Amino acid sequence: MKERTIWEQIADSFRSRSIWMLHYCTGCGAMELPPTMTARFDMERFGITPMATPRQADIMLITGYLNTKTLRRVIYTYEQMADPKYVVGFGSCTINGGIYFDSYSTINRLDYYIPVDVYIAGCMPRPEAILEAFNYLMEKIRKGEADGWKRYKENYDWYKQNQIRSLGEVYVHDEFHE
Amino acid sequence: MTSSMSNLVKILEGFNPFVEEIDEKEVKITISSDKVVAVLETLKSNGYSHLSLMTCIDWIDDNQLELVYILFSWKNGGKFLVSTRIDRNDPKFVTVKELWPVARFYEREIHEFFGVEFEGNDDMKPLFLELWDEKPPLRKDFDPRDYSRKKFPDRKYEKDVIKEAKIFRGEING
Repeated sequence: MKERTIWEQIADSFRSRSIWMLHYCTGCGAMELPPTMTARFDMERFGITPMATPRQADIMLITGYLNTKTLRRVIYTYEQMADPKYVVGFGSCTINGGIYFDSYSTINRLDYYIPVDVYIAGCMPRPEAILEAFNYLMEKIRKGEADGWKRYKENYDWYKQNQIRSLGEVYVHDEFHE
Repeated sequence: MTSSMSNLVKILEGFNPFVEEIDEKEVKITISSDKVVAVLETLKSNGYSHLSLMTCIDWIDDNQLELVYILFSWKNGGKFLVSTRIDRNDPKFVTVKELWPVARFYEREIHEFFGVEFEGNDDMKPLFLELWDEKPPLRKDFDPRDYSRKKFPDRKYEKDVIKEAKIFRGEING
């Protein structure tokens, strides 16, 4: 890994304390987010807050299974996000497909298609596990180890090749206006 | 079977149906495929005006596909299941979109997942799947695991006995 300058270290330190999370919930894992966001666990005390648009968000949470149709939109959304961006794979579905391992439309591992910085195992992970993972991600950002967005640029061809192998075509067709 | 439903079954006797009583308010009628539209029309004009569901079942051993129309009456809460069987190798049927416009979408779905052609329904775009390149996925001879293995690569699991023992003893945090 390349040595960071002092300014980059300071920037990373600030970044880790104010992460905006893209509110893009793909599967049932989104169920665990309301208690994490609201008063019981209150993730805003760590500086994490939900954000509606991809261009203003820092982390993308993939909560649960992704089918091929959703994965196209996720790749679109991920590529729209501004540059220091991190992905958290949430639940066992993103790790190995979970209970959908033999489904004809659900992908089996997420890090073939977009780089993942932190995985949370479990089906479902409890809010404690989510907060633990966010703290781990913040630690990684501070150390400069969360470099998924750099890996995506360096290995863009490999990621694209996997995407095309599973999806056929990444382009999202607009059914209603074409 | 309630009295109003048994009266209706008597009206339908001319179509030579096979009637099964599932529940007090649920009756299944099995008929040959050329009489389905007439039966549906009769039921619709007798209060069963709501098409709750239209679905398909693959009977691979009989080499047949079963089409089921579930009709519901808002007057007495009764349900009629109208079922028919069509050939599996050349699955073709007529559309009922003139009776219930909502059937367009059920027919699109059945076309997508079972490969049944509905004559008269021109809009047969895929409804749920995008860029599907195999045989219809809900047919019994389609193997989803095989397809998944071919298309979506899996994670290799390497068993590390020593590490697992350490996690088990609590020496390291798994």
